[in-house]
Amino acid sequence: MLVWFLPLFLVFLMIGLPVFFGMLAAPGLLLWLNGQERDLILLYRNVYNGMASFPLMAIPFFMLAGELMNRGGITMRLVEFSQAMMGHFRGGLAHVNVLSSMLFAGLSGSAVADTSALGSMLIPAMEKEGYTRKFAAAITAASSVIGPVIPPSGIMIIYAYVMGESVAALFLAGIVPGILVGVGLMVMVKLQADKHDFPASRSKASWGERGQASLKAFFPLMTPVIILGGILAGVFTPTEAAAVAVGYAIIVGMFILNTLKVSDLPDVFMRAAMTSATVLLLVGAAMAFKTVVSLSHTPEILAEFILGLSENPLILLFLINLLLFVVGMFLDAGPAIIILGPILGPIFVDLGVDPIHFAIIMSVNLTVGLATPPMGLVLFVASSVSGERVETISKAILPFLAVEIFVIFLITFVPEISMTVPRLTGFAD
Amino acid sequence: MAILLGLLAPFQIFNDIVLRIGRALAIFCIGLMVCAILLQVFFRYVLGNALPWPEELAIFLMLWMTAAIAPSAYRRGGFVALEILTAALPTRAAAVLALVLLLISGAVLVIGAQMGLGEMNSLAGKFKSASLKYPTLDGWEKMPNSWQIASLVTGLCLLFVVNIELVLRNIITLAGGGDRLRSNLDAELTVE
Repeated sequence: MLVWFLPLFLVFLMIGLPVFFGMLAAPGLLLWLNGQERDLILLYRNVYNGMASFPLMAIPFFMLAGELMNRGGITMRLVEFSQAMMGHFRGGLAHVNVLSSMLFAGLSGSAVADTSALGSMLIPAMEKEGYTRKFAAAITAASSVIGPVIPPSGIMIIYAYVMGESVAALFLAGIVPGILVGVGLMVMVKLQADKHDFPASRSKASWGERGQASLKAFFPLMTPVIILGGILAGVFTPTEAAAVAVGYAIIVGMFILNTLKVSDLPDVFMRAAMTSATVLLLVGAAMAFKTVVSLSHTPEILAEFILGLSENPLILLFLINLLLFVVGMFLDAGPAIIILGPILGPIFVDLGVDPIHFAIIMSVNLTVGLATPPMGLVLFVASSVSGERVETISKAILPFLAVEIFVIFLITFVPEISMTVPRLTGFAD
Repeated sequence: MAILLGLLAPFQIFNDIVLRIGRALAIFCIGLMVCAILLQVFFRYVLGNALPWPEELAIFLMLWMTAAIAPSAYRRGGFVALEILTAALPTRAAAVLALVLLLISGAVLVIGAQMGLGEMNSLAGKFKSASLKYPTLDGWEKMPNSWQIASLVTGLCLLFVVNIELVLRNIITLAGGGDRLRSNLDAELTVE
C-alpha cells in the first residue's frame, strides 16, 4: 500500500500543492493509513537531519557569492571581456551573450541569475543593434542554462548530497558538457546570423584592447579557478571553497573594483538567504521522501517496470531522457532532481551506468527544461527582463533548444564527454 | 466581510513585524556563517590549528537562518509549486482549490510542529553540543541540542501563522473582498 505514496504525491503536485508540502503530505498520509504512525517521526527527523548538514551549506554560500558578484558590477566586466573577444563576428552580440553566460556560469551556477543579470544588459543592447527583441530574449534564456552545468552548480550540490556522490566529481564532470552547450549555441547563432544578416557588434579589437579587457575581468575570472583549484588541490572542501568565494567576491567588489558598497550587503545577504532557505527545506523534505522511497521498495517496482520495456541500457537512457525532458518542461531542475534522483538513480546504476554520468545526464536535461516551454522558469524571467511575451520567446528559442537536445543525447551516449575530466583528475574510476 | 478583515489584521501585523525581524536575523546568520567558515579555513590551513566549533556553529546558524526567513519566502509565494491547474481554472474554482491546498499545507505544518516539540523535549534534545558553549554566571556551559532542534519548530510555527494569514486572505477573496486586500509583497518591500 505504501507504494501509492508516489501517485498521491504526483496528484498533489499536479493540483498545485507546493513541492515541500507534497513531499511530506503524501508519504505521511500513506504511513498513517498503513498504521505506521511511529514511522511518521522518521519523516520529521529526516527533514531535520537532512538540513543539518555541512556539505549542504555550499548552497547558500554559492548563491551569496553569485549575488555579490552580480551586485558588484562584475557582470559588466565579463560582457566587456566577451565583446573584446567575440564582438567582431557576424552576430557579435549574440556570441557575446553566449560567452558571457559561460563565464558567468563559473561564478554563479544559477540560470535565473544569468538571465536577469545578462538579459537586462544585453537584450536592450542587441535591440539597439537591430536584433529582434524575441531573438535577444531567446538567446539569453537558452544560454543561461549553461549556468548550472559549468561549476559551481547548485543543482549538482543538491544531487551530490541527496545521492551521496562527490561534489567535486560532479563539478568536474559538468565542465565539458557546459562548454559543449555553449559551442553548440554559438554554431546556431552563426547559422542564424548568416541567414538573417545580423551585424557585427564592433570592429575587431586590437590585442591591446583585448589585454585591457582581460585585465579588467581578471579578478572575476579568477573565481572559478580559486573554487575548483582549491577543491582539486585538496585545500578546501566544496563548502569551504564556497565560503572563500563569498569572501573573495566581497574583497573584489568592495576593495579592488570599488563597485560594492556596505549598504548593498543587507539586501544581497537577504536575497541569498531567502532563496537558500526554500532550497534547504526542499532538500530536507527530499531526505524524508527518500526514506519512504526505500521503505516502499519503489525503485525495485519501477526497475521491474522499466526493465520490462527494454533491457538495453541505451534504449532505457533514451526513454529516461524523454521522461526527464517532459518533467523539466513543468518543474524546476532542483525539485525535479530531488524527486527523481532517489527513484531513478539506483535503477540506472544497477544497469551499469556510472553514477556520475547519470547525474550529469539528469542535471543537463533538467536544466535545459528551465528554458523549455510552457513552464520554463528562465522564459518567464527573460520575458520580464525584455518585455516580450513568453509565447513569442518560446517560439524563437526552438532552434536553440534543438541544439541543447542534441547535446543532451551526445552526453547520454558518449559517457567520455562527462567522465574524462573526473577520471583524469582521479575523481572517478 | 468586516469580521474577516478584522480577523486578518492581527495576523498581518504579526507577520509584518515578526517576519521583518526574521529577515534581519537571517542576514545576521548568513553573514556569521561565512565568517565562521573563513575562520576555520584560516586556522586550519594557515595556522595549522583546526578549531573544533566553526562547523557546528555554521550548521546551527544555517538552521536558524532557514527558520527565520522561510516564512517570508512562503508569504511572497516563493515555495515551488506547479500552477498549471490553478491558472487554467475559473477564478472562483481556483480560489477554492488554493484554499484546499492551504489547508493541506496547514495540516503538514501543525503535525510537523507537534513532532518538533516532542523532539525538543526528548532525550535527543537534552544531549549537549560537542563544541558550542554559552556563557553563564558560573562559567561556560555546553549548549543543549534542543536549541538547535528549536529552529525547525520555530520555522514551522511561523510558517503556520503565515498559512493562517493566507487562508484568511483566500476566504476574503472567495467572499468577493479581494479588492480590499493589500499586496503582501508590496507592503513588505515598503517596510524594507
